Amino acid sequence: MISYLILMGIVLCILAIVAVALNFQWGSGGMVNFGLAGFYTLGAYTCALLILKAGANTFLATLGAMAMVAAVSAIVALVTLRVTEEDYFAIVTLGVGEMLRLVSLNEDWLTKGALGLTGIPRPMAWLVPVEYYQYFLLALSAALLAGTVWLLRRIGRSPFGRVMRAVREDDVVASTLGKHVLWARVRIFAIGGAFIGLAGSLHAFYYQYIDPTQFSNIVIAYAFMAVIAGGRGALRGSILGATFVMVLLEGSRFAKDLIPALESDQLAAIRIIIIGVGLILVLTYRPQGFLREYLLQVDLNSGKIKA
Amino acid sequence: MFAQTAFNGIVTGIIITLPALAVTLLFGVLKFPNFAIGGMMTVAAYMVFALNVQLGWPLVLAAPVIAVVFGCIAIGIDHLTFRPLRERGGITLMVASLGLGLILENIARFVYGNTARSFAYELARPFRFLDIRMNREQMIAMIVAVVAMAAMYVLLTRMPIGRAMRAVADNPALALVRGIESPRIIRWTNFIAGVLITIAGVLVGMDRALEPPVGSNYLVPVFAAAILGGLGSPIGAFAGALIIGVVSELSTLVIPPNYRIGVPLVVIALILIFRPQGLFGQPYIRK
Repeated sequence: MISYLILMGIVLCILAIVAVALNFQWGSGGMVNFGLAGFYTLGAYTCALLILKAGANTFLATLGAMAMVAAVSAIVALVTLRVTEEDYFAIVTLGVGEMLRLVSLNEDWLTKGALGLTGIPRPMAWLVPVEYYQYFLLALSAALLAGTVWLLRRIGRSPFGRVMRAVREDDVVASTLGKHVLWARVRIFAIGGAFIGLAGSLHAFYYQYIDPTQFSNIVIAYAFMAVIAGGRGALRGSILGATFVMVLLEGSRFAKDLIPALESDQLAAIRIIIIGVGLILVLTYRPQGFLREYLLQVDLNSGKIKA
Repeated sequence: MFAQTAFNGIVTGIIITLPALAVTLLFGVLKFPNFAIGGMMTVAAYMVFALNVQLGWPLVLAAPVIAVVFGCIAIGIDHLTFRPLRERGGITLMVASLGLGLILENIARFVYGNTARSFAYELARPFRFLDIRMNREQMIAMIVAVVAMAAMYVLLTRMPIGRAMRAVADNPALALVRGIESPRIIRWTNFIAGVLITIAGVLVGMDRALEPPVGSNYLVPVFAAAILGGLGSPIGAFAGALIIGVVSELSTLVIPPNYRIGVPLVVIALILIFRPQGLFGQPYIRK
């Protein structure tokens, strides 16, 4: 049971990093990312391939994965957003995500296709005894999650963070004020992308084996659910949101005990239906989520800034 | 080989036209891209499957019946999911539609599992014409889709309800001033979209196999077609779908077929860079 909880803790941290990154892109920056699953795949595969093919160590491979996803995200944002509206951006990210997943499935020479990549080493495995390794990995994931939240919050409260929110609320106003909207959006998407890459790397380390079936589009629904439930723009809320999603997911596992006739396909379908229904219900009835976005408020009488 | 591939592309394009038309009509009236149409296509196709295979109805009877039923379901879906979110802006509706698409696809998966299935209808030998091999399914798909498009054309240009739909799409405030009730138009638009999606689902299910991701696989090409033609423009959806279909199929002569989905994507990127309003769309003026 303890072991189960620890493994769930690790999965939760990974999901939470994805959710926080999405919250940065979408919640704070207003850039919807429907290609999340593809970017996540890209992160995991880049990390694994850098280790297995290029002989990088786990630390460098993780950085490489982050840089890779950030670069691809930046290109997508740059090409699409030069001229366009958010509706089109969503469709393009959806298509790009799909393409990335197809590459992982079809480029056998690189990714071994449906067979997947095996034998991915874990960070600092030589240092930590095997029997304690899962505790270590949990601690590492939690630390990385905390680091992600800390860094993205710092960015969110910096002058650039204010530009982000201005671009999200009204890009015309932002550009009238002399802000470079396109450049801001490219940076928002790339920074978020880097952390999706980080989550992908952790995924590779945790499973030690990756194949294309692990990266279905369901990840998108989980992440959006976590962000919406946690509160858009409230990065720490996404951790709560991710926990909420995990409880829903793991809770529905017990549906099998209640109705033994269910097959595993059906069970998987039910879990997705639950997440989808939850998504729409939360959007409809509690659109603000659990936590509020951090916004500076200036008291006009005294001129003091309230957090 | 070239002629054959081009012909297959035309068939694919004509099939894509129907959901692209649904996307474009929905976008025109409701102003958000509805990603649930993939899941809707799947569910509609499985409903036809239930009548056709499980109850033994002939396909010519099952498809129209379900088309009408599913049109009503589409109204219901819109009422339950999107109506409460209408004032919340495009992104919220888009995310909700993504969630809805997943729900619908997985309802089909829950009931029928992941195995590929096919409709029950008489198989016939393909025939040849100028060295081009044509399946009977392809011919049926072409005829049905062309008839559906002709009907849509008449509806949109000659009938009051179609003109009202275009009016609401064009300028909702002005339409309201002229006494057009938008809730009624939204209901009609959803109904028509539901009918188009059902027909598309059946044609796709006949062309390939019927499995839960059957609809979502078409999401990117369908949206590419609608964008290429100019979101909101019915004629554009038709032209866009044909171009996407033919170009995607022809691309398989030079690139691995697995990456066919990349073609619509490249087309979208090019269109967005060079002609963001699409082939037939009005230049978008931001207010």
